[in-house]
Amino acid sequence: MRILLEKLLINYPFFFAIILFVMGAFTVLTRSNLFKKLIGINIMEGGIFLFFVAAGNIKGGAVPILVDNPGVTYINPLTSALMLTGIVVSVSVTAFALALIVRIYKIYGTTDARRIAEMRKEVKERCQQS
Amino acid sequence: MRDFVLKRVVAVIIPFISLYGFYVILHGAISPGGSFAGGIIVALSVIAFATIFGLDRAKEKLPEKILVWTDSYGTLWYVLMGLVGIVKGVPFLSNRLAGINLGVPGTLSAGGLIALIGIGVGIRVASTMITLFFTMMEEEK
Amino acid sequence: MPAVITANLPVFLIILPLIAAFILPTIARRQRLQENLLLVVGSLGLLGAGYLVYLVMHGGISSVYQMGGWPAPWGIELQVDNLASFFLLVVALIILPVFLYSRRNMAEEVGSREKVARFYVLILLLIGALAGMALTNDLFNVYVLVEVATISCVGLVSSRNHPLSAEAAFRYLILATFGSALILGGIGFIYIITGHLNMGFAAQELVQVWQYRPHVVWMALIFLLAGFGIKAALFPLHLWLPDAHSIAPTPASALLSGLAVKGYLICLFKFFYRVAVPFLLQELAIDKIMKWAGLLGIVLASLMAIRQDELKRRLAFSTVAQIGYLFLGASLMNTRGLSGTFFYLASHAVIKSALFLSAGMMISVTGKKKVSQLAGIGKKMPVTTAVFTIASLGLVGVPLFSGFVGKWYLLLGALDSGDFLSALVIIAGSVLCAAYLFPVVRLAYFEPAEIKEAQDPGIPQKLALVFLAVLVVLLGVMPGIVLELANRAALDLLTP
Repeated sequence: MRILLEKLLINYPFFFAIILFVMGAFTVLTRSNLFKKLIGINIMEGGIFLFFVAAGNIKGGAVPILVDNPGVTYINPLTSALMLTGIVVSVSVTAFALALIVRIYKIYGTTDARRIAEMRKEVKERCQQS
Repeated sequence: MRDFVLKRVVAVIIPFISLYGFYVILHGAISPGGSFAGGIIVALSVIAFATIFGLDRAKEKLPEKILVWTDSYGTLWYVLMGLVGIVKGVPFLSNRLAGINLGVPGTLSAGGLIALIGIGVGIRVASTMITLFFTMMEEEK
Repeated sequence: MPAVITANLPVFLIILPLIAAFILPTIARRQRLQENLLLVVGSLGLLGAGYLVYLVMHGGISSVYQMGGWPAPWGIELQVDNLASFFLLVVALIILPVFLYSRRNMAEEVGSREKVARFYVLILLLIGALAGMALTNDLFNVYVLVEVATISCVGLVSSRNHPLSAEAAFRYLILATFGSALILGGIGFIYIITGHLNMGFAAQELVQVWQYRPHVVWMALIFLLAGFGIKAALFPLHLWLPDAHSIAPTPASALLSGLAVKGYLICLFKFFYRVAVPFLLQELAIDKIMKWAGLLGIVLASLMAIRQDELKRRLAFSTVAQIGYLFLGASLMNTRGLSGTFFYLASHAVIKSALFLSAGMMISVTGKKKVSQLAGIGKKMPVTTAVFTIASLGLVGVPLFSGFVGKWYLLLGALDSGDFLSALVIIAGSVLCAAYLFPVVRLAYFEPAEIKEAQDPGIPQKLALVFLAVLVVLLGVMPGIVLELANRAALDLLTP
């Protein structure tokens, strides 16, 4: 038990990453508000980003800019660079999803997934008539 | 917004914001920051203009057509820089192998093609962000 | 000059659609020019892919392309092998008819002329991403390309000028992004325990370290299976697909069902067979999950398809069932099963595009969406209905059509591993497939016509449909090169 706790304390960023991931996934799957779903996705991705960045970090490591000092331990810059790409992707997905929510709101007048599901048949019939 | 102070201050500040953005884009290859961050800063200057002076005046200064062109050709520029390597007979996106002099580490030319690619990416990011913002402001109306 | 093209052919195949995608917005007003540009891109792509297949089969090209000249652990590589050239050929074979079909045909479905240009941009981005997925050998590049493909797919779904499209697209986007997060997590686990992003190097490390950290490897593979499973519509995770694929504009439906889903599958196969090894999958019981999901998918999705009255929805559910075949074949872990999977992937891509394009043509000409309303259309639109019939025969797996060869090899693979249940389900799936496709054909030919005015489409559309129908028959009568390539790809993956 004590060994487990010690491991947890040393690797606490991973612990938080898992918590964030699960929180986000829970939000996406259980909330019916479309905005909350989107926020859940963002939290989930945040968890993954933290996971990657924590994996590249070394305690006491320096910023990876080369200086003429042989004794320095550098942190791994690769994971941070990868997550920069990941963040850009997540930003564009968020922007796209927001645009879609605006369109959905114009059609249904609500952003609640349950009410949209109820109204879907109505809208379908309406567009078949016209 | 009609606030006089705000307008004057923004009018003075905007060129400096843009300049800083371009600085970050250009030095992306050799220092923290880079073309993505720089492009966002350039876009911010336009967004500040649009929020203070109104969307119509911003569109007068920066028509949609120009945004479409920078959007497309910023990315094409990237591909073109990649093709330099192929023309020289080495793989796609080659830098030093393509015979480009990388100069002294720490100076602007040290990135070789990367600095040039960064310009294209920066322009692209800026125009994409501006387009996004303009589109959302239009939805607001 | 030819030497330059030969050496850099893989890169050209990726950047060709991307260049076209970035030129298109600047000529958004000039529709004729756009369409000609697309045809040029499609033909060049087909030529290039065919040449690449020739080069790969005769060993005329090095199997590794180093981006920027950096060697493997540091640089990013493209792996030019049988699997990649096989999938590139499939992509090139589908996009040419899709471009032909959408010629002067899109404005109504998408909305306005300017939106047509955006639609084409999304298609080209999707194709570029698919070509990249086929070729890449880098774990993180897979994530980026998957994400590009996902955003373009969602864009294609939402581009339909229809009140329900935004909602279907949003559901697709949320689930697909959920899948991307899982994929990224899986890649993270692999990177943490192996320290490499290059597939070859990660595989070498993984074989050695998996015994010390079996749970991490298991987590990584499950994350990848779930993530790609959502995107490729593995059975219980397919919930977004019927809505999204049936609401998308017709050429987009053909591309999404025919190609996009398979691109994710190819990536999954790369992860499972190239990074992990088949032995590892069996040890961690991943193949059992794939097998049962595939079996359930074939039976249940087919049963759901029978109940659908809307033609495009029926075809969308049929896609879920056919994806079940692919997962089932991949779980068999023997050469014949896997080469059958690859061949079935190609034949389903061709068949499903033909089905969606011909069905979409019937729907857009008559304005009737339901199967029961399309009675007697065979006499009014002979070419379209004939193509639909040929493709149906192919999907059911009648001999002399392409589906038969794939199913035959899957059956042999199932019998090779002594799995009689799978063999039974493969045959039962064919029967169910006949049960949901043949009623459409029967109604079209043997019922009195309800529709008054309907005509076959214009020449480009006819040409596209006939091209696909000829492919369905050709792949069935002489599967030669494609089967050989599928065989070699399967051998490559199974022998590390």
